Amino acid sequence: MPQKQLKKQIKKDDKKDKIAAIIMLSPVVFLLLICSIYPFIWMFRYVCYDYNGFQATFTGTRNFTRMLSDTTFWNSVGHTFEYALYKLIFIIPLALVCAVLLNQKIRGTSVFRAIYFMPTVISSSISGMIFTFIFATQNGILNGILMALGMDAPIQWLTSTDFVMSAVTVLAVWGGFGNYMLYFITGMNVISEDVYEAAKIDGANGIQTFFRITLPMLSPILKVVLMLAITGAFKDYEAIMVLTQGGPGNRSMVMFLYIYNLIFGSGLTNMTQPQIGYGALLSVVAAIIVGIVTIAYQRIAKKLDDVM
Amino acid sequence: MKKIAKTLLLAGIILSLFLGPVFAGGSKESASASGKTVIEVWSEDRHDMEYVEAKVAEYNATNTDNIQINLTIISDNFRNMLQMAFGGGTAPDVAGINAIPINMIASTGIAMPLNDFIANSPEYQKVNDPYNQIYEGTNAQNGNIYWIPTGMRSGVRVIYNKSLLEQCGYTEIPKTLSEYIDMAADITKQGNSRFYGIGFTNASPFERLLEMVSEMSGIYYYDYVNGRFDFSGYKPVLEEGRRFFTENIAYPDQQGVDNMRALFSVGMFALWSNASQEAAVFTEQIPVQGFEWGVAELPTLTGEVTGALETTPSKGWGIISSTKHPEEAWKVIEFFQSEDFLKGYLEAGYCLPSTDYMASIIDSSKTGRLADFALKPYETVYPKPPAINLSGDDYRTVFWNTVQGYIDIDDAIADLNKRYNEALDADVASGSATRLVIKDYDPLHPDQGTPEYLTE
Repeated sequence: MPQKQLKKQIKKDDKKDKIAAIIMLSPVVFLLLICSIYPFIWMFRYVCYDYNGFQATFTGTRNFTRMLSDTTFWNSVGHTFEYALYKLIFIIPLALVCAVLLNQKIRGTSVFRAIYFMPTVISSSISGMIFTFIFATQNGILNGILMALGMDAPIQWLTSTDFVMSAVTVLAVWGGFGNYMLYFITGMNVISEDVYEAAKIDGANGIQTFFRITLPMLSPILKVVLMLAITGAFKDYEAIMVLTQGGPGNRSMVMFLYIYNLIFGSGLTNMTQPQIGYGALLSVVAAIIVGIVTIAYQRIAKKLDDVM
Repeated sequence: MKKIAKTLLLAGIILSLFLGPVFAGGSKESASASGKTVIEVWSEDRHDMEYVEAKVAEYNATNTDNIQINLTIISDNFRNMLQMAFGGGTAPDVAGINAIPINMIASTGIAMPLNDFIANSPEYQKVNDPYNQIYEGTNAQNGNIYWIPTGMRSGVRVIYNKSLLEQCGYTEIPKTLSEYIDMAADITKQGNSRFYGIGFTNASPFERLLEMVSEMSGIYYYDYVNGRFDFSGYKPVLEEGRRFFTENIAYPDQQGVDNMRALFSVGMFALWSNASQEAAVFTEQIPVQGFEWGVAELPTLTGEVTGALETTPSKGWGIISSTKHPEEAWKVIEFFQSEDFLKGYLEAGYCLPSTDYMASIIDSSKTGRLADFALKPYETVYPKPPAINLSGDDYRTVFWNTVQGYIDIDDAIADLNKRYNEALDADVASGSATRLVIKDYDPLHPDQGTPEYLTE
């Protein structure tokens, strides 16, 4: 085949491939446009409006000035950081330890994996309901156990500002660590057995093996898990809504729960309107906050990589 | 060419798979296969579904107007669903719109005024007494009537465990709030952690006792005479209410409504307060076990009733303005608000009668414990204060946090006065709300004043 004809044929094939690629991508692009980009633009449109779902009134910068003086929102941002910190402190080490233990070649580990993973697939509203009974002051299981162990008076887990964040953290850790544990186990499975054998021959004990081999080789997975855990912790609100409704005294009010309440909340009465415009603005601010935290984490992780 | 055709075919199949569900149901057929005119009806009430569905089936089988009702129950996010359907051209013809604030259905044009239909329907007028059930700002605006209630939910009552009260030496509910709290404190003390004087839910707890005690004591959050929000009057009620927590009187947890009802039903605390829906709850849904329960009027600050207690008009049907069959839609409303339909409905105890006519028609012996919640002379429907765009917590949340001791009372009142009035002023200025003023306002008869809606 002459070179010119060959080139023409290749060009023709390329064109066909491009058409095929465009056609194959079109459903995904269409769904992305409709389900993700359009709602995002729609949300931006309403940040300068009072919108109750039926009627939109342009209010200029009023929502922005309201946001700056909205102490409930800024307190909820503070609670979100506090909640995320507590959750991450417990959930990542616990998931990692469980992953290491359940990655051993011992009988029955798959049963424990399934048990620990199960809370992840339970609806957060159901788990919130279950934990309401566990944390009940008067007839709660937890207080029952603590009293049997010698505690003098029952703890008001859900109605005391001193204890409610502990209760919320316990629920968050219970509901999420199984998922991260599976990520870690998957990560460990790709570490070659040869490396462990070499360490064994060199006389490394279990702790040395974990810190010198498992943890460094797990770092790519760890980074991803941490990022997912951080963004997840900042976006949590469903279980808190069922467990405490943000109370008592707004002590467990996190930012996405506050936004939910503004738009759909049960607190909406006939004299307070659904505030979709203001809620949209707070959603954008919340997304920026989560974005900043994620970027900060990525930079720190990159610097640690460079150092290591 | 064949490859391109195959690719196109494949992409088409994938697209249709994705888009099929998106556009499915987008068009609505208004005539059934049998040639009847189909009237789509939406309701958000699930509790009366069994009765309503049975009557609708009967109507579909027997009506001579060639109408078929297609009833859909949407108990979650009803407002949003209706708004989205209206925007998307798939709204129903008739909807139960009594729980939607009037500004969302009237000025938006979603609901159609019923004045002409009502004026031409003597039977409807006889059964529903519409001209005595016009509540400006609730079901009517600027002379336009959007729905007429078919029943009433009573105001809040004290529901009490008679056996527990007698065991602790009490035979009746005190008249003043202070004595009421004293009694609750004494029962808690005698209970010694086995039972308590009173229980509160975490779902709008302020509304279920202290707010209604305030109403009956002549205290309200909106100053109708001056057209401003004013929370100053609540101070003495909040000070009394704090005792529930500073003296550890209340049951230690505030759980969901049904959890707390269940605890009351097994005798865990003596005093509970809620409206007439509790009649069905404590006889059918969560039956009281092993004791007799009573219903009493709420206490007030001084023992005298100096203000009206709020009742809620319920089960009102409106026509959605996008309907292509307004005449048939009105016939459906006439059916839902007919004597035959309402007699069974009210006798089943779903709500209290809202008209003297229906009260005289029904056999009250069939309504069970609902009779204990019969409306009092001081109960009425308040004119709705303006719906505003409020930043931060609403007054019920703030006041309950205050009662629990998380916020100082004076700070809470100052904060609410500031936030509510700032929001009202801004909303009036932007045109999204109007200022309601009733110069001849009477706290015992709030519905009898002359409302004015100001734009400044």
